[in-house]
Amino acid sequence: MRRALVMLIAVTALVSAALVGQRPAPAANVTEVLIGSVLPLTGNFASLGQQYLWAAQTAEDIVNNDYADLQVPLGPGKGFPGLGGVPIKFIVRDDQSRGEQARTIVEQLISVNKVHWINGEGTSGTTSIIQPVVESAGIPLSCHPCASPTLTEKGLKWFWRTGPHDKVMVASVFSFLKEWRDHGGPNDLKTVALFTCDNLFCQDNRKVAADLAPKAGFQVVLDLTTKTGATTLASEVQRLQAANADVLFFVQYTAETTVFQNDAKRAGFMPKVIATSNGAYSDETWLQAQKKTNAGAGWLGRDPTAIDLVHQRASWKKVNDIYKKYSRGQNMGELAMREITGLLWMADVINRAKSVEPAALAKAARETNMSPDQLIIDYKGIKFDDSNQNTLATGVVTQIGWDGEKHTLWPWDLATKAGFKPVFPNPSWQERDSKPKPAS
Amino acid sequence: MTELAQAIVNGLQMGFLYALVAVGLTIIWGLMEMINFAHGEFLMLGMFGAWGLSASLGLDPLLAILPLGLVMYGFGVLVYRALMRRVQGGDPFTQIFATIGLLFLLQNAVVAGFTSDYRFVGDSILVRLSGAKLTVLGITFGVPLLAAAGLALLLFLALYLFIERTEFGLALQATSEDREAAMLVGIRPTHMFAVAWGLGAALVAIAGAILVNFFAVYPQVGLQFTVLAYAIVALGGFGSILGTLLAALVVGVIQSVTVVYLPPAFKDAFVFASYLLIGLFRPQGLFGRF
Repeated sequence: MRRALVMLIAVTALVSAALVGQRPAPAANVTEVLIGSVLPLTGNFASLGQQYLWAAQTAEDIVNNDYADLQVPLGPGKGFPGLGGVPIKFIVRDDQSRGEQARTIVEQLISVNKVHWINGEGTSGTTSIIQPVVESAGIPLSCHPCASPTLTEKGLKWFWRTGPHDKVMVASVFSFLKEWRDHGGPNDLKTVALFTCDNLFCQDNRKVAADLAPKAGFQVVLDLTTKTGATTLASEVQRLQAANADVLFFVQYTAETTVFQNDAKRAGFMPKVIATSNGAYSDETWLQAQKKTNAGAGWLGRDPTAIDLVHQRASWKKVNDIYKKYSRGQNMGELAMREITGLLWMADVINRAKSVEPAALAKAARETNMSPDQLIIDYKGIKFDDSNQNTLATGVVTQIGWDGEKHTLWPWDLATKAGFKPVFPNPSWQERDSKPKPAS
Repeated sequence: MTELAQAIVNGLQMGFLYALVAVGLTIIWGLMEMINFAHGEFLMLGMFGAWGLSASLGLDPLLAILPLGLVMYGFGVLVYRALMRRVQGGDPFTQIFATIGLLFLLQNAVVAGFTSDYRFVGDSILVRLSGAKLTVLGITFGVPLLAAAGLALLLFLALYLFIERTEFGLALQATSEDREAAMLVGIRPTHMFAVAWGLGAALVAIAGAILVNFFAVYPQVGLQFTVLAYAIVALGGFGSILGTLLAALVVGVIQSVTVVYLPPAFKDAFVFASYLLIGLFRPQGLFGRF
């Protein structure tokens, strides 16, 4: 028995030594900080992935070059001062929007490339697949635009998120709808229909909305889930029309949103309020396309930032100029803003840790207390709770106006600053057709 | 009752568009017994072409049908001569992987050239008509979709007459039925195969030029239609042009009617269930020949 115990201790010591031996090299030997970036650059979510890629290129540019007057973390100076000025390097891999591919890539990034941090995957579903791999490897993982609340509710030690999750953001929408009547809004909005796609992100939104709607005084009269990749939504529109809800809570990606808009126009369907959460509403290309048709005017939705006010920040403008070098001239959308904010926070953590050793990185991450003036986005700052969720990441509610731009509706203090008169009720299709188009 | 009738009408209109998307697959299979997994990418190229001509030259997607059809016909012939002819006599898996390779090559080439952004045709005849409706016995017809469905039906009928009533079409059919006998009467099968690939590519690109009025354009757009096209071709009977039309209408109606009464998750499940059901009792499909 005693001999067995000694053997067990010896084996444990050997295994521990071997594991310690596999840890990344200490700061003294670091010549560059390696960030493994697994992204959906092709496949269904490629339009998201390319924004994250441009965000990574922007962050790499900011950290590695000297932007003396850029007031964001690691803006002034080259490289990481805390690590003797070494540069950051993103090792980007495409998972083709496939979860299992992402898992394999992450294993390679950790074991072959010896990265110090994994960032990705940009979608909640695939991120939930790679979480256990990174957790067992014991290095930090972050996904800043991932909005599924469950990602930080699993008790994981190594996962971090600076962006708000859907409980916060969907709550913003229902808080707005509930409080609107006391701020001059309509008092006859009583019913809501939920119309969502079928993946983790959409279904999390649906669950949160189904929970919050009755608490905000709304009766859910229809709850429809559709498959991603629909070629027609005409019958779904028929059912929504029959349900005749005052508010349509709509969570669909860009392609399906376009199909919906065509089918809704054909059927003459337009509820009093369309409230969205991410999906097409966060897609710059969809937003720009609405300017040619007025089809998006009046749509409201949650955003992580007051996008009409944030443009006034000097740091936003400078970061946007850098981003446009990589995005073929496209402005940062809110997804890119969330990602860049998170990547610059990550750079700040590495710099403060003065090490790429995982425990030091985790300690520095936990100790984060970043003020809002260091951010390009409207969070109240960055500070984490025990689940590694940023408690200061907030949500706002915006609405697309007749000018095709988003305007802040909630919270009320920001809405006052924005000075925008809400579009209500949602204009009919005829009114949309007859009004001048911002892009024509 | 009106609800059901509306759903059937909606499904039929979509069915005509699906038929035009799927028929290219049928032609290639019917002649060569080869499945083109890059079929959706040909559709995507047609959509990108129509969007590009609209954005750069202001050419309406409906007017782009002719130039796009010609260019994509040439592209289909090129694909056959440069790639498929070389693998035609080989293992079926070689053929499958050749078209899968083509799928990724085309999709990623477009990603590299145009990024994965969504693109939209903001101004076209059908987009301008998007609010126009006809109402007959309480059933609403959106004018743009009705026009698109009518155009798809016309093109389909033209193709049918071409295959059934012209000497060239009969030569295609002869090659399909007995390659060696066709050679004996002077028909060159490789020429017919090239034509089949050209026709397949042209037809699906034309479908793309019509669909671009209703759907966002992006490099992965082909997939959602290709999956349906496979089901349609299998349901109608591999190689049967009329079977493809009928099956496409059935698929459109099943999709549409299912959602009126059941959760939308069943929409595609019922499409594929109908295929399985047909497979049990008529494995060659509705109009296929074994």
